[in-house]
Amino acid sequence: MISHATPRTRRLTIVAQDPSVRVNGKILTTEVDLPAEEIAPGPRGYRVQVVDYDTSSGFLYQPRDYPSLESGASADPFKRDADKPNNDWILTEPRFHQQNVYAIVMKTLARFEFALGRRISWGFRGHQISVAPHAFADANAFYSKEDQALVFGYFKGTSGETIYSCLSHDVVAHETTHALLDGLRNRYTDPSSPEQAGFHEGFSDVVALLSVFSLKDVIGTLLQPDFKQKDRPAESDLIDSDRLKIDELKKSVLLGLAEQMGQEMLGVRGDRADALRRSVMLENFSPGDVDRIEEFQEPHRRGEILVAAILNAFLQVWRARLDRLERGRRSGKLDLHLVVEHGAEAADHLLTIAIRALDYAPATDLQFSDYLSALITADKELVPDDTRYNYRKILLNSFAAYGVTPASENSPDGSWETCDARLTYDRSHFESMMRDPDEVFRFIWENREALDLHDQAYTKVISVRPCLRIGPDGFALRETVAEYIQMMTIQAQELQYFDPPIGKPDGLSADREVTIYGGGALIFDEYGRMKYHINNRIDNVARQTPRLKYLWKYGYFDDVNMAQNAFARLHLNRALNQRSRNAEVF
Amino acid sequence: MPGKIRPSNLTIRAYQVGFGDCFLLSFGYPEAENESDRERHVLIDYGSTGMPAGIDSAAQMMSVANDIKQRCEKGKLAMVVATHRHKDHISGFTTKKDGSGTGDIIRSLKPDMVVQPWTEDPLLEDPQPAKPDEKRAGSPVLPVTNAQFVSTLADMNSLAGTMRTEMARLRLAISSKGLSDDVADEIEFLSEDNSLPNRMAVANLASMGKNHYVNFGYDLDVSATLPGVKIHVLGPPTLEQHSEIQKQKSRDENEFWMLQGAARSFWKMQAASSELIAGCAKSNTRLFPDADVYEGYFPSNNRWFIRRLDELRTEQLLGLVRMLDKSMNNTSVILLFEVGGKKLLFPGDAQIENWEFALGKKEVQDLLKDVTVYKVGHHGSRNATPKSLWNRFGHKDKSDSATGRLMTLNSTMKGKHGHSKNNSEVPRTTLVKELSNFSDYRSTEEAAKNKELFLDIPIHL
Repeated sequence: MISHATPRTRRLTIVAQDPSVRVNGKILTTEVDLPAEEIAPGPRGYRVQVVDYDTSSGFLYQPRDYPSLESGASADPFKRDADKPNNDWILTEPRFHQQNVYAIVMKTLARFEFALGRRISWGFRGHQISVAPHAFADANAFYSKEDQALVFGYFKGTSGETIYSCLSHDVVAHETTHALLDGLRNRYTDPSSPEQAGFHEGFSDVVALLSVFSLKDVIGTLLQPDFKQKDRPAESDLIDSDRLKIDELKKSVLLGLAEQMGQEMLGVRGDRADALRRSVMLENFSPGDVDRIEEFQEPHRRGEILVAAILNAFLQVWRARLDRLERGRRSGKLDLHLVVEHGAEAADHLLTIAIRALDYAPATDLQFSDYLSALITADKELVPDDTRYNYRKILLNSFAAYGVTPASENSPDGSWETCDARLTYDRSHFESMMRDPDEVFRFIWENREALDLHDQAYTKVISVRPCLRIGPDGFALRETVAEYIQMMTIQAQELQYFDPPIGKPDGLSADREVTIYGGGALIFDEYGRMKYHINNRIDNVARQTPRLKYLWKYGYFDDVNMAQNAFARLHLNRALNQRSRNAEVF
Repeated sequence: MPGKIRPSNLTIRAYQVGFGDCFLLSFGYPEAENESDRERHVLIDYGSTGMPAGIDSAAQMMSVANDIKQRCEKGKLAMVVATHRHKDHISGFTTKKDGSGTGDIIRSLKPDMVVQPWTEDPLLEDPQPAKPDEKRAGSPVLPVTNAQFVSTLADMNSLAGTMRTEMARLRLAISSKGLSDDVADEIEFLSEDNSLPNRMAVANLASMGKNHYVNFGYDLDVSATLPGVKIHVLGPPTLEQHSEIQKQKSRDENEFWMLQGAARSFWKMQAASSELIAGCAKSNTRLFPDADVYEGYFPSNNRWFIRRLDELRTEQLLGLVRMLDKSMNNTSVILLFEVGGKKLLFPGDAQIENWEFALGKKEVQDLLKDVTVYKVGHHGSRNATPKSLWNRFGHKDKSDSATGRLMTLNSTMKGKHGHSKNNSEVPRTTLVKELSNFSDYRSTEEAAKNKELFLDIPIHL
């Protein structure tokens, strides 16, 4: 007998932002919908397992049991206590912390899968990522690929209270995004340029920040005046238009939050105070400026440019939507729920294309200009008609304000140009091409000249992924995204033999081995024809010369351990403003 | 002593203190009227954190103290320099209650001057938040005061101390799984060297002579103490001086101060967090005292991850302790002695972050061109002889018979610190090769090999 559909989601309580954000003196919590599963103690599920081990003391905290979804009991064991007038117990209940990280990691994963219409692998072999909510007494939190883990520290804050980074929504969502991005584009952790490393940071911030807008009750609260005051008046369903100007929105939903939580999380992010949300205030600058300013060679700082461009675009789109709402009204007030709804929709759409753009991004050596073209292409594919809210126009202008123009210079709208190479499909099979890396490699090999590949480089197809989405006509569209990379390890002195020659960094010894990368993403349409070929040639001198110079300057050729635990190192270096001074050492 | 008198000879005695520094500079004034003025001595650092096998550390350090005393025939040191607070530079200054410490012997030599970095000034020990009138014009950010920087150094010392507790547990956990002890050894070495300096040594330095807490450009007037000698102070820069370099690189002139503020909070939090753990360990409690933990075993499905986490934490501690070690090294006093047409450079353990302020000054660049003797920074580690410094020395010469060839002097001991597999061995092989190729390279390892207490290097003035 076929039974009725089993539950597809389950709801769990999390801390909405972090414990310092309180409403009426109570820690602001919210419930999130997650993919349903029978959770083993940990919580341990099919993609996430929480192991609450504290290395600083050597204790492993015991987990709690979760009732079966079939039992009909409340699946969220903490809901009742979270709703009590005083929920400070949250701070001292490690099992709630375990649930908090499980839920935010799962929610972020589900958001990616929703945007891409497929399962996403982590950036390591294995299905479950391990999460340690109290990994060490240290103001740090990071994704460790080597350990297949997300680790969160706890520390004494400036107030003298113990701060748990695992209770910060932004920190958990940010670190989870690193792990997901690594699963989608695993060469983005390669030593490359400040922009590629900055992309990892900036993109993780963008996902963390835009995700918050899906928590509508949280945004509704933040838009209320004086929500922090204990005895504030009851919530109103109407909000003054004055509070909805772009600068006001920055203050209330972005910066207002930062004031509360920025300070204590400063150490974890290795940033100066509340940089995450302050990115939106970053001053504009002209093209090329960013390469000249030393501080933007640091990946977090560089990543702020991406955050600023996307968040400012978000605010403008939200504002454009509110303009339509306000048209014809005279009261000067808007329905709060509608305002929040429009914010959520704008954030949701931008988040979807921000994630989908990864499929349209080159496989190696990503620059912001590449990502901008990928964003525009992703949006164009999803919504061909941009006239309603002008997302693409707003994005282009917003990036341009930070000196970033689309990499696709020849197309009128900044999207990638479609592939017009004369390709041979005769010797490959449509069905296999949808899933088999060997088949895709055969196709690439067959067409290596037309695809403009270097025939001496080691070439490998690193992924073939189906991509299912709903087209503008409501029909399901199945496309395929394949990635290949090219690598060459040569002596530094051999760089001169490329045509034109790739520059050897001054001071790098001639016989030192260096590895250069190239690669691309191939997008096949529903008929198996190549629609886009988005690539970085391995012998692209304009990219390789500065890349090698940067890597040499910042010590990547030097320290054999540099690639290991790159995120932990990055956070520490950022916290202490440590720049590698490779040119100075013996 | 009449001001016109000049030293006509100089000997540098490099004591064999294993992994540490101890140099005695003896200036000869044969023309001085009073016999007691005919030799003047400057002691630069006196510390050790390890001796070659077969040498008793305490006995060796005592022999050094006695030799210094004997050398100062007239019972007087002109100057003591303690470049920075690391144990391998100041442990010898430790006194004992019964007056039998090596530091008591040095104290009895009544130095006229005691030179230390500005970061050791006791007046800076109690940091107050910057006053409103100290705010930088147009800046929303309070600059970090020099005093606050000093308190950050204290936080680092305290962190290094408590870190040792955590490391003891991790070493047990890790070594029981058959993993290498290399990392644990390095953390223990660095955390010991960086933990709170011996109070007795600090108190002794603060009270044995007239104190000079110096920074770049400090006017160290030695005309009475060491006539005919000029001493340039090339480091460390103060925070204000350092900010000048940062300003040139940054778009935002407040960037330096904000980063200083962030670093200060960072170390403060690290120190406080580490104390939290040390406190738990002491009272046998844990972060969540009421929560249940696994007693006596870990579930089998958690064991791989737990081992990985322990290793990860160890690496993390190593990263932290290296950072604070570097910060401490960069408080080193850098002195350039100018005497009888010769120039002797004693930079302690300074690295590029300390050096860069001085190296950016034209007058310093000129001064460095004809350095005659270079005390190799930080026992010959890879990052304490910045290439932009080394490239400035004009007396480097490939030919070992060249007249006036640069002399380089290293106080070091192989095998104590770092590993060649990650290019961190001290002394660094490539540096020693460079020094040997282009200068007359001398090392206290020669004395260790010959079982001698010191190496004497006469400098002809």
